[in-house]
Amino acid sequence: MVHTATYANADACPVGGPVTPEQVQLRALMRKGLSEEEAKASLEDRDPDEDLAVDGNSPDRPEAAPRPRRRRPETGNFPTRAEDTEIELAGGRYGYGFNLNGIVERGSFEDPESGERGVDNGMWRVLGCFEGYHIRKPVRPYSENISFDTSLDAMPAWLMWVSGEDLSRDGPVTVTFDRALNVAMRNGLQGLLGGASYTIDPNPRSHSEFKGYIRDQILTVEPGDFAMAGDSQWFPVLRLLQARVRFRIAPDGSFDGLIGGYQPFKDFFHFLAIRGEGLSQTNLPGVYYAMKRLAEAAPDPVTGENTAISAAYRMQGIPAFLMSKTGEVVAEAVGRGPAVNSTAMPEYETDTPGAQRPAEGSARE
Amino acid sequence: MLRVLRWSVLVAGAGVWAGVLVGAQAMDTIYTYVRLSPTQYQHVIHDIFGRDIVVPANAVEPGVRDRGLLALGGRKLALSGAELERYNLVAWQIAAQVVDPARRATLIGCTPAAADAPDEACAAGFLGRVGPLLLRRPLTDDELRRYVDTARAATEALDDFYAGLEAALGRMLVAADFLFRTESSTPDPAAPERLRLDAYSRAARLSFLLWDSSPDAELLAAAGSRALMTEAGLREQVDRLLASPRLERGVRAFFSDMYEFDKFETLLIDSETFPEFIPSVEADAREQTLRTIADHLLNRNGDYRDLLVTRDTFLTPALAALYAVPLARSQELGGAVPWTPYRFPDGTPYMGVLSHVSFLSLHGHPGASSPTLRGKALREKFLCQTIPPPPADVDFSAIEDSSTHRTVRERLDAHRTNRACASCHRMMDPIGLAFEGFDAASRHRTTENGAPIDTSGELNGQTFTTASELAVILRNEPAVTSCVVDRAFSYGTQRMPTKEERGWLTALATDLRGSGVTWRALMRRLALEPDFHTIPAADVRAER
Repeated sequence: MVHTATYANADACPVGGPVTPEQVQLRALMRKGLSEEEAKASLEDRDPDEDLAVDGNSPDRPEAAPRPRRRRPETGNFPTRAEDTEIELAGGRYGYGFNLNGIVERGSFEDPESGERGVDNGMWRVLGCFEGYHIRKPVRPYSENISFDTSLDAMPAWLMWVSGEDLSRDGPVTVTFDRALNVAMRNGLQGLLGGASYTIDPNPRSHSEFKGYIRDQILTVEPGDFAMAGDSQWFPVLRLLQARVRFRIAPDGSFDGLIGGYQPFKDFFHFLAIRGEGLSQTNLPGVYYAMKRLAEAAPDPVTGENTAISAAYRMQGIPAFLMSKTGEVVAEAVGRGPAVNSTAMPEYETDTPGAQRPAEGSARE
Repeated sequence: MLRVLRWSVLVAGAGVWAGVLVGAQAMDTIYTYVRLSPTQYQHVIHDIFGRDIVVPANAVEPGVRDRGLLALGGRKLALSGAELERYNLVAWQIAAQVVDPARRATLIGCTPAAADAPDEACAAGFLGRVGPLLLRRPLTDDELRRYVDTARAATEALDDFYAGLEAALGRMLVAADFLFRTESSTPDPAAPERLRLDAYSRAARLSFLLWDSSPDAELLAAAGSRALMTEAGLREQVDRLLASPRLERGVRAFFSDMYEFDKFETLLIDSETFPEFIPSVEADAREQTLRTIADHLLNRNGDYRDLLVTRDTFLTPALAALYAVPLARSQELGGAVPWTPYRFPDGTPYMGVLSHVSFLSLHGHPGASSPTLRGKALREKFLCQTIPPPPADVDFSAIEDSSTHRTVRERLDAHRTNRACASCHRMMDPIGLAFEGFDAASRHRTTENGAPIDTSGELNGQTFTTASELAVILRNEPAVTSCVVDRAFSYGTQRMPTKEERGWLTALATDLRGSGVTWRALMRRLALEPDFHTIPAADVRAER
């Protein structure tokens, strides 16, 4: 499971609070030519059941509303054709991630798990004040969770393996990421099946290696570049420059933690654009402009503009056997993983202290 | 009109079936009847009309188990009205597929002069060809005439020659002689206490034992010429049947029955507790064991006893995950689930069919293992011992209390303090506890509720510490051979052996222990034994 590492807190969005999907839709209708009054009226007056019957679309989608007077290009494909609405950026003390530049800057985050200060996470700043992302562990971003779960049965699995002299002790290791040739297998609860076997795709496009270290069951790596091909309906690709990880290895062989680095922001925007404003529940032009403003690495060689934004993703894995294409066992599954590891939509109900749930009636699809 | 025809067939059929489980026609000829099993029904249809004919999974009820075998129950069944209706419905479904335009050219064998008019020559040609294969004997002239008349009447009513054939074939598929193996026998002049099967009944008994299907044309011809009643002729046909690839179906059918794989239909493992036990595991587990047995006994010509200790098997990705072993997955991005030959490494806990899911999970509870059920199954299915049912007033409180006793061994020890339970549990629990290293889903484990699991025990004076060691002891246990010999005889004859027959069965088991309990040797010895082709007169009198 991979998703944006979110850490919603009371002080994260002090200006206007989380942006609801309805507000996103209102702006979308206005961009398509309706006045604010007309847009509000169309959202309020619609009969959701009637809209479903006529259009076959979700009543929450702007497309189901009365046709606007003039059409403009889709905001996902052409975000710069819309005005920058300067969305509210998430702030506050805490945010998941890593101190990528080694500087504890004013306003940077503190990682709530590791306590690391100077955390760079521009992606969280951009997304954190949209209701779908205004959540925190164990709640997952709804749109990402749904698309991941949908892609899971068609997308080759992502693999990680750790090698070292004695993995039961603290010490240096090598951490390798690869993509599988096989799709992930589900267990009886529709989560991931622990102990399944996967064949490593020898294609280097999704291969990356890191020097790492295990200390007190925490796996970290020295910065390096990470790249993994995903799926068109989920993250088409996850590329992280100067990536690092912090994974907690559980006794059952599973791991849970963060991978972060500088991500080409258009990679992520592509995911949002595919989902559209209705499903991603974000203001696409606003997100685009914000990402562009907060990009802080990988300058374009021609324009000099930064193309990558700091980001962190929560990554969870379960034990698996990894095999070469010729059938040799490359890595053994250690343990069986958690008994329950459903990737299906998590309930918003949670007993975890501090976890926040979206407002009633929102964030539904 | 067609509907009326169908019902008329059903009513006529019901009239025939009533009270014919045992009957006598000629003065000295005795008829007994054995119902086709679900797989036999399917194999017969596929052998005659092709594997692309869809036979509904519920075409035939599995029947009732009697003294360890469904095959024994097959001789005692009567039909309910609901079953009659299902037979009738399935018969028409099959008949419709056979006369389907896409299959006419290959299955009918002739083209009528007119598609909307009767053509008795063409109908007689088809029905005269498939009739003996379905009924496992030649049709009398009168029988063929009646089937052709059915075809003609339906053709005239429906203006469709093929609808006529469909009606006649549908009628044949609900004939008692198709749905039941009619065994025709006469008293043996040399031993009046037993009845000898006639040549066609002998052919059917052979083919259903070895192929799980009806005799082919060559076997019927050997019966027709009475060559099958001679020693040389019988040997020739037995060797031919044993050399056929269809032998695997016979092996699968026998062991499915002996190991009670029909229980897979009702197997329930709690997915909340054991998420690795995904739905496909149920079908895979059955196939794993059957594939292992067929490969071991037929491809490798292995000894039956070595099934208890072989590490060679076949796995799917789902099974491999459950067993927690690596398995190369050849399919990419979906596709058919492949079966991969696999050898459990030495030193791993998985060895022999007793470590398969088909044994460990089939004999347990949805959320917990059961040493008692595993021990019972081992004694009943591999040693042919009988364990009485538990008393009605049994107190399960001790066995269900995991707060006081963390391991099931401790709980069973407490349970055995009840003297009413102890006598049987002493037989089942010690050997069943050997498998406590596997939970209800067959996953290997070393602890239960945090306490270490003790898998040691004793069988017939020999001690063991693991399930693998118990398997080795069992492999050398003489009763294992006696059991499979006994079961094979009962399965093939669909009756229990007489006291006299037990004598030569014992001798056969002794011989095989020395030379190797190979499947072909066992089948050959059984099939060539004159007693195999008889029915005790006492049995017939009892059924009457």
